[in-house]
This record gives sequence, C-alpha cells and structure tokens, in this order.
Amino acid sequence: MSDGVFVQILDLVCGGLLLSGVLMLWRRELVAIVRLLVVQGVLLAALAVLLGVREQSVELYLVAVGVLILKAVVLPGVLHRVLRDSGDAREAAPLVNVTSSLLAAALLTLVAYAVSGPLVALAPSATTRALPVGLAVVLLGFFVLVTRRHALSQVVGFLLLDNGIAATAFLATSGVPLVVELGGSLDLLLLVLVLQVLAARMRLTFGRTDMDELQELRD
Amino acid sequence: MTALGGLGTAVLLAPLLAPLLAGGAAAMVGWRRAVAWSAVAASVVILASGVLAAVATTDGSVLVVGDLLRADALTAVMLIVIGGVAVIATWSGVGYIDQELAAGHTDARGAGRYGLLVPMFLAAMVLAVLASNLGVLWASIEATTIVTAFLVGHRGGRKAVEATWKYVIICSVGIALAYLGTVLVYYSSQHSGMGSQGSLDWTVLVAHADRLDPGVMRVAFALLVLGFGTKAGLVPMHSWLPDAHSQAPAPVSALMSGVLLSVAVYALLRYRVIAVAALDPGFVRILLLTAALTSLALAASMLIAQRDYKRLLAYSSIEHMGLVVLGAAVGTPLAVAALLLHILGHGLAKSVLFCGSGQILALEGTTQISGVRGLLARRPVLAGTFALGLAALLGLPPFSLFVSELALARAAADAGLGWALAVALVLLLVVFVAIASHGAGMLFGRPPAVTAPPGAGPATAPVPTAAAVSSILTRTLVRPQALAPVRTAAGVAPLVTGLAVLAVLGVVAWPLDQLLRAAALIAGTP
Amino acid sequence: MTAAGVVGVLVQLAVVVGGAPLLVGLMRQVRAVLEGRAGAGIGQPWRDLRKLLKKEAIRPEGTSWVFTSGPLVLFASTLVIAAVAPFVSTASPLDGVADLFAMVSLLLLGTVALTLAGLDTGTAFGGMGSSREVTIAALAEPTILLAGFALSARVGSSNLADIVAGTLAAPAQVLSPATLLAAVAFAVVVIAEAGRLPVDNPATHLELTMIHEAMILEYAGRDLAVVELASAMRLTVLLGLSVNLFVPWGVATSSAPLALLGATAVFALKVGLLGAVLATFEVFIAKWRLFRVPELLAGSFLFGLLAVSASFFLA
Repeated sequence: MSDGVFVQILDLVCGGLLLSGVLMLWRRELVAIVRLLVVQGVLLAALAVLLGVREQSVELYLVAVGVLILKAVVLPGVLHRVLRDSGDAREAAPLVNVTSSLLAAALLTLVAYAVSGPLVALAPSATTRALPVGLAVVLLGFFVLVTRRHALSQVVGFLLLDNGIAATAFLATSGVPLVVELGGSLDLLLLVLVLQVLAARMRLTFGRTDMDELQELRD
Repeated sequence: MTALGGLGTAVLLAPLLAPLLAGGAAAMVGWRRAVAWSAVAASVVILASGVLAAVATTDGSVLVVGDLLRADALTAVMLIVIGGVAVIATWSGVGYIDQELAAGHTDARGAGRYGLLVPMFLAAMVLAVLASNLGVLWASIEATTIVTAFLVGHRGGRKAVEATWKYVIICSVGIALAYLGTVLVYYSSQHSGMGSQGSLDWTVLVAHADRLDPGVMRVAFALLVLGFGTKAGLVPMHSWLPDAHSQAPAPVSALMSGVLLSVAVYALLRYRVIAVAALDPGFVRILLLTAALTSLALAASMLIAQRDYKRLLAYSSIEHMGLVVLGAAVGTPLAVAALLLHILGHGLAKSVLFCGSGQILALEGTTQISGVRGLLARRPVLAGTFALGLAALLGLPPFSLFVSELALARAAADAGLGWALAVALVLLLVVFVAIASHGAGMLFGRPPAVTAPPGAGPATAPVPTAAAVSSILTRTLVRPQALAPVRTAAGVAPLVTGLAVLAVLGVVAWPLDQLLRAAALIAGTP
Repeated sequence: MTAAGVVGVLVQLAVVVGGAPLLVGLMRQVRAVLEGRAGAGIGQPWRDLRKLLKKEAIRPEGTSWVFTSGPLVLFASTLVIAAVAPFVSTASPLDGVADLFAMVSLLLLGTVALTLAGLDTGTAFGGMGSSREVTIAALAEPTILLAGFALSARVGSSNLADIVAGTLAAPAQVLSPATLLAAVAFAVVVIAEAGRLPVDNPATHLELTMIHEAMILEYAGRDLAVVELASAMRLTVLLGLSVNLFVPWGVATSSAPLALLGATAVFALKVGLLGAVLATFEVFIAKWRLFRVPELLAGSFLFGLLAVSASFFLA
C-alpha cells in the first residue's frame, strides 16, 4: 500500500470514528445509538487491519478479528437485548440539551487537540497525527456518561470512552502487548455482562432504568 | 536474582492458586462450612507466601516466574497486607454468612456466589501485586471491579442496586483512564531507545525511565493518578466509595477498604518511581499532594455530620488513603516505609471495624449511629473490640497507626513539606474529634429504653421474673438480637486477633523492620 | 477581459437565471411523482412568473423604500454570485472577485434585505418571518464560514476557482475527513439557507411554521415575481456551489466554446440530480419544530469545526 493511500484511508477511518461519536450525542433513539456503536466497532477493526497491512503483522489481524467480534457483534448484541427487555426507546431527558451537547463536543474536540500536542510531538507521523481523534472520542464518551440519565446511555458512554482508548492505543503504539489486550478485552466483556445483569436488577427493583431513581444513597 | 528456584516459583504461584481452588470448590458444591474455611485457608496461604517472599526478598533480591510474575520486597509487603486482612475478613465471613442465612437476608444461591467471588477477588488482587507487567497490573485491578460488583450488591434491594451501579460505572471509567495512561506510557517507551517494541515491564521501564518523553509522561501520569485514584477512593472520583462500602457485606467492605484501596495505591507507587525519573519531580509531588489533601479535606468535612456508621468507616478510609498518598507525595524512603506500615495498620484496623460493624448491624438492625446507643453496656466484648478498633484507627498508641502517622509526619517535615503537614494535621484533628464523638455516642450514650434490661440479661439470670420478662421482650421486639448472640465469641475471635497484631506491630519493630526498609528502597526516591 | 471570457460569464448567467425556475419545477415534479400526483410539469414556475410579471405590483400602505428595494437587492446580490462563481468555468475573467467569504456576505446581504422588508410591512407575519429567518441565518453563517475555511485551508486560498481547481488537481482529497465533514456541514447549511425541509417548508402557508413565505407575504405582482425568481436562483446558486466545491468534475478550465458547452450540460445535470435527490429526501421527512432547528445547525457547526481542525491537524 502506498503512503498516500494509507494516509487517506487512515484519515477516513479516524474521521468516521469521530463522526460516529458525535452522532451518538446527537441521536436520542437508543437503537440508533447502539447501531452507531456497531459502526464504530467495524471502524476500529478496520483501523487494526490497516495498521496490520502497514506493519505486516499477523498479530494485528488477529486483534482486528477480536475487535470486530467483541465490539461490533457481541457488545452491541448485549445492549440490544437490554434494550428489548427494558422497552425504553429513547433517552428521555439528558441533563444537557442536544444543542449545547453538540457545542460542548466542539469544545471537547479542541481540548483533545490541545492535550495531544506533546503526544504528537514525540513521534510525528501520519498515525500519531490522528491521535487527537482518539482522545476526542474519549472525551465525548466521558461527556455522554456524565450528562445522560438512562442506564443504557451510561453504558454506551463507557463503551464510547473505551473505543476512544482503543483507537488511541492503535494509533500511538499499534496496539498494546497481546497479553494486556486479551486481559483488557476479557474485562470489558465481563463488565458489560455485569452491567447487563445490573440493568435487569434495576428494572426489577425500580421499575425503570433511569438514573433519577438512584437517589437514596447520599449524605 | 535469587537462587531459590523451585521454592520461589511455589511462593509466587501458591497465593494465586489457593484462592482459585477455594473459589472452584465453592462453585462446585455451593456454600458449605468447609468451603468457608477453605477461603480462610487460602488467605493463610497468601499470608504465608507473603512471609516467605519477605524472607527471600528482604536482602533486595527478586523472585520471578517467567516474565509475568515477579516479587520484590514491596510485593512481599502487599502480599502480607492482603493475606493478613483476608484472614480476618474470611474468618469472620464464616459466621457472617451463617447469620445472614439464618436471618433470611440471603439464600443458598447468594451464599454460593459469595463463596465463589470472595476468593476470586483475593486472586485478582494477588495477581495485581505479583504482575511484573504494568498492563497485567491494570487488567487485574479492573478484574477486581468485576468480581466485587455482585459482592457489593449481595444484599439486594434498591440501595444495593444503586450502590453497585455507581461502583461499577465510576470505577470502570476511572480504571479506563488508567488504561489510557498505561497506553501512553507504552507509547513513550517505544520511543525511548529501548528498541522499537517498547515494553510495559516495570523493571525495564524503571531502567529506562530517564529516557521516557516528559511531555507524554506528564499526560500519562496525570491520567494514572486520576484512574488508580478512582479505585483508591481519592477525590474527585471518590463518590462510589461510601455507597459501596456501606452496602457491601461487612467482610467484603473490610477487604475493599483494607486491601483494594491499598492495591490501587500500590499501582500508583510503582508508577511514581518511573514518573519521578522521567518527569520534573515537583510535578509528581504537586499532583499527589493535591489528591491527598483534597481527599483529606473531603473526608473530614463528611465525617463531621455523618449519621451512618458504615459510611463513617468508609469516609475514614478516604481519609487514610489521603494520608498514604501524602506519604507517596513526600516519597523519601522514610515516607514510603511509613506509608507501607500505615497501609498494613489501616487494613487490619479497618477489617476489624467493618467486621465488627457487621455484627453490630446484625444485632441492632440499623446502620444509623443514632440507632446504636450504650453498646458497651449491652455487648461488652463486641463493643470493646469496636472501641479498640476505633482507637487504633484514630492513631492512638500502642497501635501501629500511631507509629506510622508519626513517621509520616517526620518524613513530610524532613522533606520541607511543613505547610502540607500542617494542613493535614488540622484536618486529622477534625477527623479525630468527629470519629471520637460519634464512636462515644455509639459505645456509651443512653441505651434505648426497651433493650436496657436485656443488656444485663445473662448476668441477672438468677432473678427468674426479670429474666423471663427480658427474654420475652428480646425475642419479640428485637428479633435479630435473638439470633445473633449464639456466635458472639466465635465472631469476635478474628477481631481480637487483628487488634493484637496491630498492637504488637505498634510496639515492636522487629518483624517488619527489615522488610519495610527494603521495600522503601524500591519505591522511595531520595 | 477576452471575448471568450465574457461569453463564459454570459452563458453562466443565462444558465442560472433561466435554469433556476426549471430547477424548482423539477423538484416539485419529483416530489409530486413520488407522492403519486400528476404534478404541474417542470415549466410551471416559469408560467407562474410570466403571469405574475403581467400583474400590477401592489404595495401595502405605509411601507417605505425598504420594502420596494428588498426584492431588487436580493435579486442583484444573487445575480452577482451567479456571474462570478465558478459554475461552468474556472477561467472566468471575474475570477478575482469570486472569494468564498465575499459570496457568503452577498448571500447574507440578500437575506438581510428581505428580512428588513418583512419588518417594514409592520404586519405580524412579516415580523415573525423575519425574526425566524434572522435566527436561522445567525446560526447558519458561522457554519458556512467554517466549512469554507476548512476547504480553503487545503489549497491555501479562499478563492472559489482555486478551491475547485485544487480539488480537480487532487481528486483523492474529496475522500479526506476534512472535506467530508465540510460537505455535511455545508449540506445542512444549504438546506437551512434555501429554506427547504426540515428547516422550512417552501410549500406551506401555515402561520405556525412558515419562515420564508411569511416574510414575502405582502408582495404581489412584479415584486413577487422578482422575489420568486431570486429565491429560485438562490437555491440554484447554493446547490451549484455545493456540487462544484465537492464534486467539481466537468467544470471547464478554459473558455473554449466546446468546453463551455460541455461544462454547461454537466453543470445542469449535476444540479438537477442534486435537486432531485433533495426533493426525494424531502418526501420522507417532516418539518422539524422550530426549537429543534438550532440543534441541527449546532450539529452542522460542529461538523464545520471538526472539518477545520481535521484539515489543520490531520493533513
């Protein structure tokens, strides 16, 4: 693959990651948000394949397959099941309205660019120049997590954050050592399963899966 | 490297395998007496491995298995902390779960899950301290969140669900930030001239620390402090801690407060060594100091008007972690030795107190401080251990927290951090007054009218009418109390053991002296 | 100024002015066919214009020259854009004036003229329409500037012909994140500025929803014809700008007659196609509540900002 084409596809994939993150802020329908997560999983896998081609590393191909299965199939599948069980279709009332969220997202992107200055400076290349995208997705995930009140939206925020970190890891270091990658993926899978069970319990005890219900423990 | 060979391998593998076996047994046969005791046995194995590792590593040598597991003196200290606290917690867990089953708070399935998850929790923490790869360290700390999720929610009900949800979400986010920090450390290691592969191996990183890029390491360390700080209950991502600790079963609270927080601090200690070499040490110190002092201030302010004694203990954990991180901010070998002793002392004292509070809850049926009055008159043994535990926690002699707090103060003064020390001492004073007054209310105070006669019940047995009346009153009005007293002696035994160890550690320096010194050389920087 | 260049400009003007009502007719026809109606045919807007031009221009009592000049300013400013923008050829002699920011200002000038005219009538509808139009314009302008900025950062010039030529020279650029994001942002703004669904419904006179129609409610006869023609040209210009900025293939790079002829056909085809796509899209959506419009525009602003940052940091 020639340099130009590589950079072109890389930029495209990164742009897609950022765009899907922003759209998650925009959409209120939870089904659409989960679908965006699938898109993001596919893009992450594409990123791994791209780097694998670049570095001729079989390991990265395997990681790509793993990422695809985990982030584009299994986790969204789990979320779909939660969604089907809970019956809520929309994020009812985010703490911050969508317009302000989008403007905040613009601000967060700029923050990501500012923070990643030293990271890019360490080893400037096409891949590291895209690092701000990864950090921006991390910040967007954080924002979703803080401002959304639905249990599922919070899980989505967490997964968005995790996708951002995964993208950062791919872009900065072409992935972490395999043992860490495995440990991290296993943890992520188990964590989402735990959250699924918790969401079910929340529905059983509270009747709905809204964070507004969680008000009993306070000082 | 040590020549222990086979023994070294056994010392590193045994503390991992023992809890896994105990957990496996619980998974297969469900909750049984023997299963409960196997968890205690696993804790003893961890403690014994810690002691053996201490013996082997006090001279500065290192035990390794492959390139994944590694133990030096710092690891040995942490193994001893984990083992020690786990012995107390699992030991009192035996009686605790029986009580819960008898009182109908949980069923066989819940008990079986408890029997499986507690040893898994121990195994994850042991792996965290044994891991030589910082990525594996991260993954096992993340794993602790997963296994403890259902332990926190063990009791069921609205509050437990709420506490679990907050715990899992906040901790996973925090730990995800720590992962980002880990990735950045790996990134800077790839560009530090140690070969294009880079490494997350702690020894390799420490050896090359001065060549890591300061710009990247600055971002990375800030993320790591925020991330592992979440797990250690430091401000600003501390809010899960009081909820989770107050809702979890008492032995699990003891483990979380006594060990889990310390394991997160341990991760910070490991990273601090790298960061100090790679960065301007002033930045590292300011970052840690900020986290420490804000946590102390928050804990102090929340303790003053606390109404729930389990939350009181939880906020006290935040306060002690603040002190420990203050020690890490100072960072001299003396400070590190002191903070390690403090971790050990706090772990033991907190496990005694949480297990004791579990029994108080079973007796009184409430976690409100105002609902528990005159305990000393009614339950002298339990209340006595609780009182001594509080005294230990407040840093009164002869307990070891007194020694470690003094040493921390001296280390801070030596390092020219007098102002931070002054702030910390004022906050500690506030904490002292708050905890002491709440504790005094629970222990002394005026006993509630109805339960006053039964407090003296067994002693006044010769007077038939009074005894009959009181026993009827007890049975009808205070149901939990009727179930609990059976096992008081057995329940208090682990607590008394913990207190005794604490007192011994405070008076004689001998058993740990050398080990702490060796560990301080590893994690401390002059 | 060569004769060939002048011919190029004239051709372009003729295409835009003559084609604009046809484009509107085409979009209405597409919509009608998709909705299962027969439709009035593509030429209907021209027939409407002819009818209106024959009628007397009645002006409401108490209106001033602001009301009278509104349509003229709108028409004139749009005409200037139609003359200088590189729709058919990049080798136009007026190229030096074809600055992206100047185009945006000209668009805004027309908007302002019409809103002032709406206010000048002193009726409730006029004022309401003007207020809504200004709100939308205020939200849309920053986006269009940002999107333009992202595009011009790539070639180092805000000259429209340079941008188009730059894209022609490096076609792969079209797939870069900066360009794609800018395209999305631009598309949203074009929809908002042209008053199409889901921001404004050009076919309604329902008082709660109309924006553009409310402003021009008091115009009649010749004045209305001018406003209608100018609005149609505005739509054409906006669609033309978006196709040529993002899909510039087919634009003539010289003033040779044959090249001009081919470019004119390609341009008509591209704009017609885009218009048909837009009309099809409109069949499937409803107008948004006015309160949600800022959301849409904030989103496109974000895309514009991302486009700018991507064009600076990624490439």
